[in-house]
Amino acid sequence: MVEAERANGLLTYRRRCGEQTFERILVTKTGEMIINPVEPVNLPKEITNYLQVEFSPMVLEPGTTQTVYLKFPVEIGVFLESAKDIEVLDVFANGSQKYTLYGPQTNGVIARYHRSAVYSEIPSVECFCEGVMELSITNASREWVEVSQVVFDSTDMKIYYNDFVTTTATMNIISANLAETDFVDAPLRPGMVKSVELYAARKIPVINRGYLMEWGFT
Amino acid sequence: MNFNVTEILEMPVGIGDITLEHLVYFIVILTLGVTVARIVSKNVRRALTDRLPKSERELVTKLIYYVIVVWAFVFALPQLNVDLSGLLVAGGIVGLVIGFASQSVVSNLISGLFLMFERPIKIGDNINVSGVTGSVEDIRVLSTVVKMYDGIYVRIPNEKIFTSNITNYVQNAARRFEYEIGIRYQDDADKAIRITRGVIASHPFALKNPAPSVYVDNLGDDGVNLMVRIWAPAREWWDVRTDLLWRIKQELEANGIEMPFPQRTVWFADGLEVKNRAARKNEREE
Repeated sequence: MVEAERANGLLTYRRRCGEQTFERILVTKTGEMIINPVEPVNLPKEITNYLQVEFSPMVLEPGTTQTVYLKFPVEIGVFLESAKDIEVLDVFANGSQKYTLYGPQTNGVIARYHRSAVYSEIPSVECFCEGVMELSITNASREWVEVSQVVFDSTDMKIYYNDFVTTTATMNIISANLAETDFVDAPLRPGMVKSVELYAARKIPVINRGYLMEWGFT
Repeated sequence: MNFNVTEILEMPVGIGDITLEHLVYFIVILTLGVTVARIVSKNVRRALTDRLPKSERELVTKLIYYVIVVWAFVFALPQLNVDLSGLLVAGGIVGLVIGFASQSVVSNLISGLFLMFERPIKIGDNINVSGVTGSVEDIRVLSTVVKMYDGIYVRIPNEKIFTSNITNYVQNAARRFEYEIGIRYQDDADKAIRITRGVIASHPFALKNPAPSVYVDNLGDDGVNLMVRIWAPAREWWDVRTDLLWRIKQELEANGIEMPFPQRTVWFADGLEVKNRAARKNEREE
């Protein structure tokens, strides 16, 4: 439960989630509060930028492109916006979190892990827990490939929402062990609202460069 | 009594032709240089705070600081009538002398440069070097500062670090830890394994891949010993390690599986005769 309450002349933001309570006193004249889904790599503690979605294995013929729908975890960000600045106040989520290692222990990366089924149409999702990812997979290599996971750099993630949360992504398979992933800045359906990006709010310059999956995709 | 500032400034200080004015100019230029260096490096550090990791940020700011200070020093030297071209000739001989005299300083300096380029350690890393375990606070030109886990400051010369075995606990993305958990012989080991796996799966930072392993490792004197091996992000492993063991213990006990106490069964070859003195005495009296 999220609430902002004015008592004794002080404005208090309060969020209760299970047994945990997060509370801050807000001092503002013109500031506004924005609540929207954010890149799901912040809980329970921010340790990585990478998101890995594992799904049922798919085998792709050389030269083919297939668009599928996956589910991805959702985290909710609370922002404070004023005329000159925007700041992250709180991030919370309903679901549980799990992390994994993508690549070898020596130079692999820790990534937020999520398991999803593969859907041919937009699946129904549990609000505030999961979102829908439209993933377009292209096999640009010269051989049949099996794909069962995709890893993204979440700093490039573009999230849109209305009744449910969505993101659009691409995966370009270059060779048997190499693929490039990226996010597309477009809503899944017309009229969806674009989320305030957490990484933009944290003032880290975001260069849209995608992520190169160097350690395979199975 | 009148003070003539010009006369005072033109007074020789007693070293060659250097006057007080030269000395003042030298000090002013040097002070200005150090001040500018401090301001610039401070602003660079502030500007890079969100853009670079702390180790790179400190390296860049230090480099900028020393470049400006050295530049100010070279700029100020002519005030002391130091002919830099003359230094070039004399530099070779002086360098040789200084080199011999300050071998350890030079070797520390060179080691420091290699440490900065090779980068076996970074600021914030948890390391062990020649018996000192802690986190790296600073990598300087001549030495490295390590803060031990009990808060003690240790300055290690760079040469010692460079020639020692360095254990960096967080260089790799993930690291493994293990527990040995004993259960009683009458407990169901398969159930204990299932419960332990469930607890590990519920922890966010117990990595999905590499997968944890839980298995019966050996049949001990007091009970069945399970081996639990878990991978965690290198920078989070200690928290995961301390958190999970207690959770596993609690969950096992909640499901009726207990840790065994040390016990020993003693068998007597001819059986054991129990003597009951009171009973015998009663028999005799009767």
